[in-house]
Amino acid sequence: MSSEIKSPVYKIYKVLITILLILLVLLTVTPLVFMVCASFMTSKQILAIPFTWIPRPFQFKNFYNAVAGTLHTWTFPRNMLNSFIVSGTVTLTTLLLAGMSGYGLSKFRFKGKNFVFITIMSTMMIPFEAIMIPMYMIAQKLNLMNSYRGLIIPYLVSAFGIFQMRQYLLTFPGEFLDAARVDGMGELGIFFKLVMPNSAPVLATLAITTFRSQWDNLLWPLLVTQNAKLKTVPLYITSFSEEKHADEGALMAVALLASLPMLIAFFALSKYFIGGSEVYESRKG
Amino acid sequence: MRQKKYRGIERKLALWGWGFNIPSLVFFAVFSFAPIIYAIYTSLYDKRVLSLKAPNFVGLKNYIDIFTNKGIGFLDSLKSSAIFSFGAFFPLVIFSLLFSVLVYNNYKASTQRKFEILWYTPAVISSVVATTIWMLIFDPRGLGNQVVNFILNTPGVDHRWTSNPSMLRFVTIMVYFWKYIGYYIVLFITGLGTIPGTLYEAARIDGASRMQCFRRITLPLLKPTVSLVSVLCLIHCLKTFSTQYMFYQSGAPLKPINVISLSIYTTGITNQRIGRACAMSIILFAAMIILSIAQLKLINADDIDY
Repeated sequence: MSSEIKSPVYKIYKVLITILLILLVLLTVTPLVFMVCASFMTSKQILAIPFTWIPRPFQFKNFYNAVAGTLHTWTFPRNMLNSFIVSGTVTLTTLLLAGMSGYGLSKFRFKGKNFVFITIMSTMMIPFEAIMIPMYMIAQKLNLMNSYRGLIIPYLVSAFGIFQMRQYLLTFPGEFLDAARVDGMGELGIFFKLVMPNSAPVLATLAITTFRSQWDNLLWPLLVTQNAKLKTVPLYITSFSEEKHADEGALMAVALLASLPMLIAFFALSKYFIGGSEVYESRKG
Repeated sequence: MRQKKYRGIERKLALWGWGFNIPSLVFFAVFSFAPIIYAIYTSLYDKRVLSLKAPNFVGLKNYIDIFTNKGIGFLDSLKSSAIFSFGAFFPLVIFSLLFSVLVYNNYKASTQRKFEILWYTPAVISSVVATTIWMLIFDPRGLGNQVVNFILNTPGVDHRWTSNPSMLRFVTIMVYFWKYIGYYIVLFITGLGTIPGTLYEAARIDGASRMQCFRRITLPLLKPTVSLVSVLCLIHCLKTFSTQYMFYQSGAPLKPINVISLSIYTTGITNQRIGRACAMSIILFAAMIILSIAQLKLINADDIDY
């Protein structure tokens, strides 16, 4: 191996590979840099030929326009709050319910366990896109339209979350549970005080996956909310970009503001974003 | 006496096992199984929300309509979905496999991590934001035209990214590729990490070249990951909605990007042809079942023991 590293052929090969890898970095990063730069530019500069990367002048007003909206309705802060409330609540309920189900399916023996597991897993085959019409009608029947309830309830738990929890807890030592039972701990106590705190890595991964998918969700909020005050961030961006005389600089400012929470979380906790599958793999075997 | 008590505990625990699952089961019954059954049922009726009269039972007419009546455009939808899915699927799987192997074999873990983070960043932002950025880049006066004109040396040409049907399809695939390439690379790197390094060491000692190592060790052992990622990728592509919806809302022509999910949305919500939209939903559901069964088969067939 060491003789190969020194050979000139290998050096050229390595340089070529590095160039290739960096080209992909350029492809993935440039549009994001474009978003950041453009959010400080005037619309005229964004669409000027030739394009220049440094904003001149720095158009901080974009961020004011982004938050205030073109009609100065100030719905953006409210929509941001809605996104946090909906994504946050869905994340908490998913952790709780998926934890319960995953625990029940991995650490208990009962008649019909396999049936329950297969039933839950089979829901992964039902894509939301295929049930959006019936869901829309159910939401109307159950009076879920235009409300937080309506945004949250259809996503209380996910089959994938249950699967992840189950796989993780399969390797949880049963002796701990028995010891706690002998010590007189109740079943709920065992779940909340022993099982959940010891599942922190998988809970963190599941929390991030769930929060992200809700933060991105466009289709269901599009169906269930008509009231501008109850809309979420993706809908705000959609309506902002639809407006006729859209202000491109402000549009990019909206895009940047909407992405900041996720980008900050990603750079701070990248191990749970990228290593998510590893956490689960490591405990699987 | 002792035996009896033991059975009591068993029964108690079995009840708790059920109890922990009941909330999820109730949830899935109401929000997964009921809707899909309702969709199957409604697809057999001529249901329109705006009409006050009770819907007529029409049997399979909705299915026959969407497959034979060209005016509905569902066949075009299937075609658009197929073009989008395969157009995104092949480059995504091929390039993510290529890049993951290159970075995995040539760099130490910490450098790999840096590349992974940079490639993965687009996957962190939402599809709506991703589409907004690319719509601006592909504006007739935007950066996209300038870069392409610089490379092809064709100053001042507008490539009609969002008005030409083929270009529009290419652009939606491009957005998707950009957003998910890092995600699939990370999946492949996880798969590569499960191949024991001792195999490579042994092959090196026996005098195998890099190419031989890749073809004889990496590819065969990575096969389960490749097949799983492939099915996952196809499922993702088939469900795409946001990107196409955003382009459609911004005034791009609908026909080339009218993928199945968008078609369900416009038929059911915009045009209120509920029965017909449900028939389309069932077709999408059937495609998902086929892909999911393939996925299950692959998981069971390709287990490797080291």
